[in-house]
Amino acid sequence: MLDILSLLDITFFLLAALGALVGIIFGAIPGMTATMAVAVCLPLTYALGLNHGLALLLGLYVGGISGGMVPAVLLNIPGTPSSITTTFDGFPMAQKGEGERALRVCVVASVIGGLISAIVLFLFAPLLAEFSIKFSYVEKFLIILLALTVIASMSRNMLVGIFSGVIGIWLSLIGTYSISDGGNGKTRLMFDFLEPYLFEGFSLLPVLIGIFGIATILLEAEEGIKSGLASQNIKFGKGGGFSFGIFRGRLTNLVRSSFIGTFVGMLPGVGGSAASVLAYTQEKNLSRDSSEMGKGAPQGLMASESANNALTGGALIPLLSLGIPGDSTTAVLIGAFTLQGIQVGPLFIPENADTWYVMMTALVFANIVMFFLMFYAIKHIAKVVLVPKYILYPIIVMMCVVGAYAINYGIMFDVWTLLIFGVLGYLIQKVGLEVAPLIIGFILGGQAEVYFVKSLESAGSYGIFFTKSPIALVLWGLIAASVIFSVVMGLKSQAKRQVEAS
Amino acid sequence: MESGLSSLLSVSIDFETSHLFFPHIIHWVLGVLFALVLVFNVVPFLAAVRRGERSLPILGESMDKFRFFGTLVLIVAYFQTMSMVGNFFPYTGYGFLFVSMVFLFLMSLMYMHTRTRRKVLTAAINALVAPTLAWFILARLFQITLP
Repeated sequence: MLDILSLLDITFFLLAALGALVGIIFGAIPGMTATMAVAVCLPLTYALGLNHGLALLLGLYVGGISGGMVPAVLLNIPGTPSSITTTFDGFPMAQKGEGERALRVCVVASVIGGLISAIVLFLFAPLLAEFSIKFSYVEKFLIILLALTVIASMSRNMLVGIFSGVIGIWLSLIGTYSISDGGNGKTRLMFDFLEPYLFEGFSLLPVLIGIFGIATILLEAEEGIKSGLASQNIKFGKGGGFSFGIFRGRLTNLVRSSFIGTFVGMLPGVGGSAASVLAYTQEKNLSRDSSEMGKGAPQGLMASESANNALTGGALIPLLSLGIPGDSTTAVLIGAFTLQGIQVGPLFIPENADTWYVMMTALVFANIVMFFLMFYAIKHIAKVVLVPKYILYPIIVMMCVVGAYAINYGIMFDVWTLLIFGVLGYLIQKVGLEVAPLIIGFILGGQAEVYFVKSLESAGSYGIFFTKSPIALVLWGLIAASVIFSVVMGLKSQAKRQVEAS
Repeated sequence: MESGLSSLLSVSIDFETSHLFFPHIIHWVLGVLFALVLVFNVVPFLAAVRRGERSLPILGESMDKFRFFGTLVLIVAYFQTMSMVGNFFPYTGYGFLFVSMVFLFLMSLMYMHTRTRRKVLTAAINALVAPTLAWFILARLFQITLP
């Protein structure tokens, strides 16, 4: 235990705090998300050691998710997708002149959600890792298949979701079938003249930075970079009016919402909005006094914000124990970990116990810093929603370039990858394909290939995927369940639409 | 029956062509999914477009053409000149530093809706300070390679 304490120095805590602050600022600017905060700030971690890098990244993650509450309450615009339900009660409260009170309720709910999910992560991830350590290639392949099915079934349209995921897998196969994975080292899916650039395929981080950074800028540019925010008046209300008494009798709500958030966070690729919407509707259904919800009731804020901060711990569970990212932010984190030489997966926690404790410390500390920063300095932080975009966006493009260029120590092709995937990300979103499944497919595609081909090479029959072990059958059951769930939900909503139409 | 099933499922992968085995399957899956998407999503969507209920993405929507294509052109020019200038001063990051200043300023100008003296001045100061800061912290303090 003592040697872990020696890994935690002042710089570690300062970086976690800095990360939380920068994350909050990113989250608070509408249109920018925690994912972007992590992607844009990646170059800063290149030069940091493992522990310091983790502190900064986790700070950014927690801060980014939390910051979304600021514009949600003050402007009725969710700063991140997961704070959508915060607008329902937050904006009415701000209209009544209770903006600061609403934000403080959100902050307290957020820190509770974050800490509960950190506890669940701490207890559950090692168990899951220990369980999955015995998995052979067959089960690992099926886990990836399950992850992709779950993501797809949570998409707006399952078919489109799966299609997007498979496109992601296809993109990940460009390059060589790596010899280090037992392949034959030959290239595929490209023209010969591209071989010097694409020998190892597209690098993960430029792809992610392109899709989350450049594509967002393009989408905003198409809308004409609206500058309308400054004209809206922001209603803070007078300070005070907040006391912890608001939370009396709300413990069930907080705990329930936190657990909902953690659980939804665990499901791979499911966006944060699902967590807060689910928590909000549960509070509405189960609470005795839900009539005020939607008109400015603090309990709605509590449900929404505790659920969306609980995502952080939840999304880290599959990342650290299975190597499967739980959402798009953790997808960027996986790239950052690889950069630091960490291979996430079942062996991560047992083999890197120190790193694991350091991560938990950073996560908890980032939550606490987030709380104090936002609780006491919220008035000042909230002003960043007014920073003009014509200043902000050029800086973001610049940081994207740094991140992409420096990642492999100065390869200009990585910068062009940024543009390629920026444009691709823009097109994907325009034609209605889904980004999250595509990214997860891209990240997991390479591994899926190795697990699939190696299983078949050793067994010589497709039957191995069914007969390998009872776990394989359970996984097939889960895959079938998520497909059926999605189909049933699809039919239900179709029937509902027809009823409404007639 | 049993042997028929197992022979149907049996497979052998030639090592020489094993790099094409999985991509081959993915191509088939992609093809089938694309056909399904075409039938269930694209065709109904196009029908709705023809009835005038929906509009085509990108083509049928109003967009700020100047800022959208301007962004694309600026980014391409930025990347291209950055590596060109960077080759004049290898391993210093000056290519990044100088080209970023110009790029930041131009992009800020393009994104402004009204250009007052105050706004342009802010953009100019930002264009000088932000790249310098990034360059100093990353290239100088952290020794990170920049173009």
